[in-house]
Amino acid sequence: MAIVFDGVTKAFPDGTVALQALDLAFEPGEFLVLLGPSGSGKTTACRLLAGLERPTAGRILVEGRDVTDLPPRLRGMGMVFQNYALYSHKSVYENIAYPLRIRKMPAAELDRCVRAMAELLEITRYLDRRPSQLSGGQAQRVAVARALVWQPSLCLMDEPLSNLDALLRLHMRTELKRLHRELKKTFVFVTHDQEEAMTLATRVAVLREGALIQYDDPREIYRRPANRFIAEFIGRPAMNTFDGDVRGGVFHASGFSCPLPGKPDGPIVLGIRPEQIQLVDASAGDAIQFAVDVVEPVEPDVLIFAKSEANALIVRTVNDDRAYDPGQKLHLRFPPAALHTFDAVSGARLP
Amino acid sequence: MIDQSTSRAWKSFAWAVLLVAVVVALTPYVWMVLASFKNRVDLLSSVPKWVFTPTLSNYPAVFIDKEYWPLAINSVLISVSSTVLCIVIGAPAAYGFARSDFPGKEDLFFFFLTTRMAPPISIAVPLFLFFTSLGLIDTIYAVVIAHTSFNLSLVVWMMRGFFAEIPREIDEAAMMDGRSRLGAFFFVVAPLAAPGIGATAVLCFILSWNEFLYAFILVAFDGRPLTVGIPGLVTPHGTLWGQVAAVAIVATLPIVLFTFLVQKQLVRGLTFGAVKG
Repeated sequence: MAIVFDGVTKAFPDGTVALQALDLAFEPGEFLVLLGPSGSGKTTACRLLAGLERPTAGRILVEGRDVTDLPPRLRGMGMVFQNYALYSHKSVYENIAYPLRIRKMPAAELDRCVRAMAELLEITRYLDRRPSQLSGGQAQRVAVARALVWQPSLCLMDEPLSNLDALLRLHMRTELKRLHRELKKTFVFVTHDQEEAMTLATRVAVLREGALIQYDDPREIYRRPANRFIAEFIGRPAMNTFDGDVRGGVFHASGFSCPLPGKPDGPIVLGIRPEQIQLVDASAGDAIQFAVDVVEPVEPDVLIFAKSEANALIVRTVNDDRAYDPGQKLHLRFPPAALHTFDAVSGARLP
Repeated sequence: MIDQSTSRAWKSFAWAVLLVAVVVALTPYVWMVLASFKNRVDLLSSVPKWVFTPTLSNYPAVFIDKEYWPLAINSVLISVSSTVLCIVIGAPAAYGFARSDFPGKEDLFFFFLTTRMAPPISIAVPLFLFFTSLGLIDTIYAVVIAHTSFNLSLVVWMMRGFFAEIPREIDEAAMMDGRSRLGAFFFVVAPLAAPGIGATAVLCFILSWNEFLYAFILVAFDGRPLTVGIPGLVTPHGTLWGQVAAVAIVATLPIVLFTFLVQKQLVRGLTFGAVKG
């Protein structure tokens, strides 16, 4: 049975509308990622599901039951907070044990549960410490252990990795994926990091200004972004987009043009991913010409930032140790199958 | 070299200022300690006497012969009761101010503070009439309620700061772990704020213990605390300075003790916001 947001709106007393009539449903066992920039309403959606906020309008259903008015403790969900929110006056052991103590679990069983969870998260040797004696990564694990120790059916995570340094973040990301596989729980994960979303999610809900703008599996979001905003948000680096016009099957933009058959004449937005642009020989007749601006090696690839009149793009290609000098001409080919088109006004994806 | 000698000069100067301040602050107290051990002749000698033959007679004379020892018990009862009341009522109120938002919150909070701004004497007569019609006049209950009412604003003000220092996520984590909102307050937030609650309680206790005006107006006989007992030693035949000093020493002992015990928390409590984290 599913978890459903049914027309959920959340307006705050100061007039901010954090969520506007959100409809979203997902299945138990999923790893749902709520992705969006700050102010998109993703954290609000998570807190509404937790019961920490109450919707202004709409309902939230869990397994067919309306939980909209239930307090957090009756919803059966665990939560990991961005700043960990560990109880600093309790030991790590007691932090993890706390949800079980509230539920008055017998001591022997409690000890077994806490130790099993600590084992799973590899924090057994920190059990006697205080939260203040832990590193960020360890504190994060304790927070995850506390959220999961009582076997809630659903675990909410509000930007749990954003306070960790880069290496640790990658490591914890992998750990979370493993945890999801082993525990077979439903995870709802809030992030503004598209890479976290792409790597972790079974499905990604992209939010923007309180509205759900695409809800799909990560591969589809990458391959068929629903609009220009998502195209420019997902990918490393994100998609190149150009404003221009179609005239007689050819796309014309400032500084270049390329064939674009099958589109009616008029303004349009053309998009192509940096890794799908091909570098071709100068002899190729129909090559698009851009001038090199900045080169960033991101081994084993290289990112080439190039300009042509008002337009700029990024090319991502394997670093074959070719030298690219600033100002040097680049000859590019946009493979027709790699092109995306968006409406010039609404930004919506065109078929 | 020049810097070093300048800083040394400044240091000596600072020490000198401190010394003057300490002397000014402590001399009366030291004088009172000495007075409590002086006999009548030494006390009234026109040349202040620093060296004299000490006597212990002042203490039994006032606490046993004049039966002042129950006044110490009254002082303890009044201070402890009003402190407990203040914390029990004030801490949840402060938590409410720290956590929830409602229209007019800051105005209400300021209103709490203004109750502390009026000169205490201005509400003394209304309080007297109030307690007379309630039949509580000349009982320690009247004093307890009066002290609670004027300390409550202080408690709410101080405790709000302590609660605000605890991240909201802590309450929310407790609620996700299975507590109700009230449960989160009592079982998680309050223990975390315990040092602050303790410091606030000590301040309440001290203020109530030291209070004279309301106690003097509201009780005349059985419910008198120590502070109110002292004017009773001013007799038509002269003031019994030795006994006054003896009562004053006993009355100041818990304050001195508490101040040494919790001075760190007390300073933090009174300056919260100035130093965050």
